[in-house]
Amino acid sequence: MHSVSDPRPGRGRTAVRTARVVGLVALVALVAAFPSLAPDSFILSVGVVIASYAVLATSWNFVGGFTGYISLGHAAYSGLGGYATALLILRADVNPWLALALGGLIVAALAVPIGIASLRVRGASFVIVSIALVLILLLVFQSWGSFTGGSNGLRVPRPFGDDVLRPEQHERFFYLHAALLAVLLLCWWAIDRSRFGMGLKAIREDEDKAQSLGVPTFAYKLVVFVVSAFFTAIGGGMYALWFGYLDPIFQFSILVGSYMVLMSLLGGIRSLFGPLLGAVIVGYAMEFFKAQYGDTQAHLIAMGALLALVVLFMPDGIIPALGNLVNRFRPKAASIRELTAEELTVQREQQEVRG
Amino acid sequence: MTASLTLQSLVLGVLLGGLYALLAAGLTLYFGVMRVVMIAHSALLILAAYIAWFFERQTGLDPLLSLVITVPLFFVAGVVMQRLLIARLRPATLTMMSVLLTFSIALLIEGLLGFVFTGTHRRIQLPYSGTHFEFFGASIAVVKLIAFGLAAASLAALYVLLKTTRFGQALRATIQHPDAARLVGINTDRVAGYGFGLGLATAAIGGTALSLDSTIYPSLHWHWIGPLMAIIVVGGLGSIPGAAIAAMALGLSQSLLQIPLGTTWAQTLFYVALFATLMLRPQGFFGGRLAQRF
Amino acid sequence: MTTTITRGLETTGLAKSFGGVHAVDNATVAFHHGKVNALIGPNGSGKTTFFNCVTGMIKPDAGSVSYRGEDITGRPPHRIARAGIGRSFQLCRVFPRMTVLENLLASVRSPTLPGWLRSARQRGDIERARELLMRVGIDHLEHAEARDLSYGQQKLLELAGVLMTDPETIMLDEPAGGVNPALLDRIANLVRALNAEGKTFLIVEHNMDLVMSLSDHVVVFDRGAPIAEGSPDEVRADPRVLEAYLGS
Repeated sequence: MHSVSDPRPGRGRTAVRTARVVGLVALVALVAAFPSLAPDSFILSVGVVIASYAVLATSWNFVGGFTGYISLGHAAYSGLGGYATALLILRADVNPWLALALGGLIVAALAVPIGIASLRVRGASFVIVSIALVLILLLVFQSWGSFTGGSNGLRVPRPFGDDVLRPEQHERFFYLHAALLAVLLLCWWAIDRSRFGMGLKAIREDEDKAQSLGVPTFAYKLVVFVVSAFFTAIGGGMYALWFGYLDPIFQFSILVGSYMVLMSLLGGIRSLFGPLLGAVIVGYAMEFFKAQYGDTQAHLIAMGALLALVVLFMPDGIIPALGNLVNRFRPKAASIRELTAEELTVQREQQEVRG
Repeated sequence: MTASLTLQSLVLGVLLGGLYALLAAGLTLYFGVMRVVMIAHSALLILAAYIAWFFERQTGLDPLLSLVITVPLFFVAGVVMQRLLIARLRPATLTMMSVLLTFSIALLIEGLLGFVFTGTHRRIQLPYSGTHFEFFGASIAVVKLIAFGLAAASLAALYVLLKTTRFGQALRATIQHPDAARLVGINTDRVAGYGFGLGLATAAIGGTALSLDSTIYPSLHWHWIGPLMAIIVVGGLGSIPGAAIAAMALGLSQSLLQIPLGTTWAQTLFYVALFATLMLRPQGFFGGRLAQRF
Repeated sequence: MTTTITRGLETTGLAKSFGGVHAVDNATVAFHHGKVNALIGPNGSGKTTFFNCVTGMIKPDAGSVSYRGEDITGRPPHRIARAGIGRSFQLCRVFPRMTVLENLLASVRSPTLPGWLRSARQRGDIERARELLMRVGIDHLEHAEARDLSYGQQKLLELAGVLMTDPETIMLDEPAGGVNPALLDRIANLVRALNAEGKTFLIVEHNMDLVMSLSDHVVVFDRGAPIAEGSPDEVRADPRVLEAYLGS
């Protein structure tokens, strides 16, 4: 009975599924092959930077994508993750990988009170806190020189010995970032299809409505917020281990946070691979810009203009836009949306006659 | 800490609080009429300061005269920004998307300022720049007093405008209850546009006042946006008197804390106040939540 | 007479004001459990604010709300929903960019933390959702996005969504608003059928024909408090009600 009006005919669904599997395999193969395809060490390091952005943007998207709460200050968590990892290694002599995990947990614990303060009221206060947090951390980490290294920065010891050469370092960290990204994507996917995820998406759509249907909105938001902060911190810590140097002005920069937003938004915050796609596009463009124009203010202008264009003209991102394009060639799927009320009653009557 | 030093801090705190209050009033206006958290507010402040500096350098006239250009210019820019950009956004996601849009405007302004004027620190040198006068042992720069006078006069004018004119009434109605305002025949779209224009005008005035006694550079706006946001949250989002009181209170405390703690740690006061407010009283301390009162 | 009535939704001295305007002013009401209750009153009489205070959307300034003898004042909306009170919204609210089926699945919760990660598409839940969609008559649209539905279909979807939480008491805010007569009939019939199955209804409505034909008990609000209550016939004959509607 349902097949009569099911907008997704069986054959189409199988085709889509096959295309997905093929795409996923291709993606994994591409990522696995990248280090051997990269012509030189520089391109390889660009690959690591982009992978790191993809990790951060995907982590950001746990909050942004599911709940629709746009945090401009996720640099706070990546920066804290980086510093926590580095300080644990330097001051407490912890094993680097253990320090990375501990750093993530510490940041997650810090995210609990921050989340409680900023998620209580809708939207506006969340944004304000997210920005304020980065600014306050910048102040603290710059001023508290004796502990954090202050404005002079902090050198992070490398986890692999000095006998491991640069290109080899890049390659290892590229795979580490890729593995972390895979874990993140798996978690995002698992939440996306779960009851928890459905409740979160309901919050994104209409928070009052979700609450009136019994969704414990505050608890849901807080949990996903802490998860996002945890992963962002791990991403920041991983980056710190690779880059080997931390400076508050770059770690606690509103710009870093806004890159995460731009990447996710550009790719599509409702899509699993949206932030990854956005990270590849924006990350590549950024490295290109730096190589071409050096460190001028031009990248600020480019970034501002691109963000404004995306917000105004493509708030859903690239992946949904492509999806719509594909749907246009699938007449059955499109037609259901354009059925008028009369047609529906006619269809129903026919169905009843048949049944 | 001597008595005269404390007095000096108090006076400086009041002067600073006045500027904060004016700028926070602008932020409150945007939030009131459109529920928009306007990140670009402080970037516009710096833009106005740059215009004042550039005006002084090119013409040799007093930078205060640049207000004749910047205030109308910013007002029109505000109306245009609201009508052409903010109004395009979907209502369902307005709060979040407007943040990003105004953030991108802030980046554009910062980038363009850096591009045109470079990142060099700039400062206006006026004949009366170094003039101080004594006030019970406290030494107060004349330029600071002028800046305060400008801010106080603008705030007073804004208050009169909102309380006594028909437009002010329409604006307050729009802030308090947009649906009801529409029902009684107020063109809330136009009012929102003018509200934005007024908000930008406060940035123009604030920027000129700032240029009188501050060193300016393109990324300076990040130092302003945090404290201003803290002020409007502590004051109760949408309440102009609340924002003014919070601005005064925080400006004073910052000034007093600077002596024992130093500039940087005194800045953190704003963020402590912000977090404390959200934890204890999310609706703010000095006003109704979300503009229920004015 | 009152001795046999089960205690349902009650408010005592409920009050809420906005900036000096008393939207709800000392409202004491006891709705009849198991019946169809209607809440009527002129525009601006505080019905919707009352509604929002009861469902936890707004915290009342004073007074209390209780349900089946338990105090639920000031509880967050999701806990009130869990207590068995479902509600619809004025002007109808659904999750626009979720499919019709997802709109129903969104409210399914797992009581334990590990259950949070269970797939949202459990067979049992889907079957129940389909049943409800069939009941309100939009089962053929389960894969359509809610924003592509007509207004009437969205109203039916909202009702199905509320039913999915299996509430004992259902509060409907203007179910007849903006709805064509055929659909109105369908909604009225649904309310009657659900009431016959034991669901209590509390309906805020302006359409007097619907109120009078559907409800067992009518409460009339004016200036934030009840001024009269009784059967539809009693209320119709009450001079205070006429005065409230014509007076201000």
